[in-house]
Amino acid sequence: MRSKRVRRQRGVVALICGGLALAFSGCASSLPMDPEGTLDSVRNDTLRVGVTPHEQLVKIDGGSLGGRDVELSKEFAAHLGAQPEFVLGGEESLVKKLEENELDLVVGGISSKTPWSEKVGITRPYAEITDEKGKKEKLVLLVPPGENAFLSELEYFLDQTQEMP
Amino acid sequence: MIPEAGTHLPREQQQQMRRATRLEWASIGYAACTITAVALVVGNSQAMRTAWVEDMLSVLPQLAFLIACLVVRKPRRPTHPYGYHRSMSAGHLVAGVALLAVGAMLVYEAVSGLVKAEHPTIGTMNLFGHTIWQGWLMITVMVVLSVPAVILGRLKIKASKPLHNKLLHADAKMAKADWQTNLASVIGVGGIAFGIWWLDGAAALVISAGIIQDGWTNTKSAVVDLLDRRATSFDGTDPHPLITAMEAQLKTYGWIEDFAIRARELGQVMHIEAFVVPIVGELTEDRLYQVREDLKEADWKAYDVVIAPVDELPDFALQPREVA
Repeated sequence: MRSKRVRRQRGVVALICGGLALAFSGCASSLPMDPEGTLDSVRNDTLRVGVTPHEQLVKIDGGSLGGRDVELSKEFAAHLGAQPEFVLGGEESLVKKLEENELDLVVGGISSKTPWSEKVGITRPYAEITDEKGKKEKLVLLVPPGENAFLSELEYFLDQTQEMP
Repeated sequence: MIPEAGTHLPREQQQQMRRATRLEWASIGYAACTITAVALVVGNSQAMRTAWVEDMLSVLPQLAFLIACLVVRKPRRPTHPYGYHRSMSAGHLVAGVALLAVGAMLVYEAVSGLVKAEHPTIGTMNLFGHTIWQGWLMITVMVVLSVPAVILGRLKIKASKPLHNKLLHADAKMAKADWQTNLASVIGVGGIAFGIWWLDGAAALVISAGIIQDGWTNTKSAVVDLLDRRATSFDGTDPHPLITAMEAQLKTYGWIEDFAIRARELGQVMHIEAFVVPIVGELTEDRLYQVREDLKEADWKAYDVVIAPVDELPDFALQPREVA
């Protein structure tokens, strides 16, 4: 009775170890996966970026967009071999589109303390700015919720290119 | 030597008690490490968060035990004529209710996350210049942490038996089952890795169901003791073997015509009343004192023994004894 239980427990432990080994060695490069496949659909295709106006980081000059966050999105699109496609809007509508998988990324001076982090995914802070009142603020980007492969790829890109405070 | 009824345990039990106290302190220290380690990686996984809360809750019975240990050794006095043994049961009840409440809260969170189809987002960490997905760190932490908990649980079960301490026993069983919580959270995070977002919520649900079960077991056992149920041993033997032994002992006296034992648990000891119907004219003071001495010496758990000569047994003794 006892030995049978011990054997069963050993079996479970072996199973976990085996599973872990498999996860780490076999497919570690393709894990984590996206439930909705965002990374795959963006790669070599289109990166749909929502841009929300921000004094320092987004410059709207007639029809063309510029500024640090816009440049960053372009560079990330290039990293994935994709064309950026920009959508201008307010944070709330952009976050909604992110939730419904109509956008892949939202940029525009979003603070690391954003309340949207309950609805969608946020990256680690990639930069720090000082606002007009002299308060320091860490900046993040918004991604679709639960798209962990896409988020991991974005954070890898940020690690390689940004200051990451 | 059987100690005077009151506060003290026999030497062996005192040693076991010290050992148990050390084990509980070790458990709290270990829990502090676990809580810190998991806090560093907890992230957005509902299963991880639930396991984390469970880690914090697991300290409750341990704290209850240690606090009760301080109170339980107080001597009895006129205002507290039964002593302070029940503080173990009080601690037991507090721990049980806390587990129930938090378990229910966690079930609600897991279910609402599943219903709203919330996809858990887990990002990366930068470790020594490498971008590593946090999920791998979570899994590693959970696997590493599960080992000492099981060992501590086994040691505590061993210590709880000679002490007849149900609070310690319940705590030990929880610790022993802790690896299942860790396994569930590993499965949850593993599910997220493979893009199976709902596996996380499902694992959280399993863990919180486990917490509720622990809470229910503890609450029930504590309430039953506080209601003065007939004493049972911690493995569920009912009536407690000591009652059976004392009944056998009472049968050996020629002057006792009929008898009934009423025993209730006061924490880890028992309060025992023996009702005896003497054969007419046979009752003497010496015989009465002798029975009391014999019963007290039967076991250290027979902490408070009262012999009551009666002309008729109380009504509970006249019914079949197996009635629940």
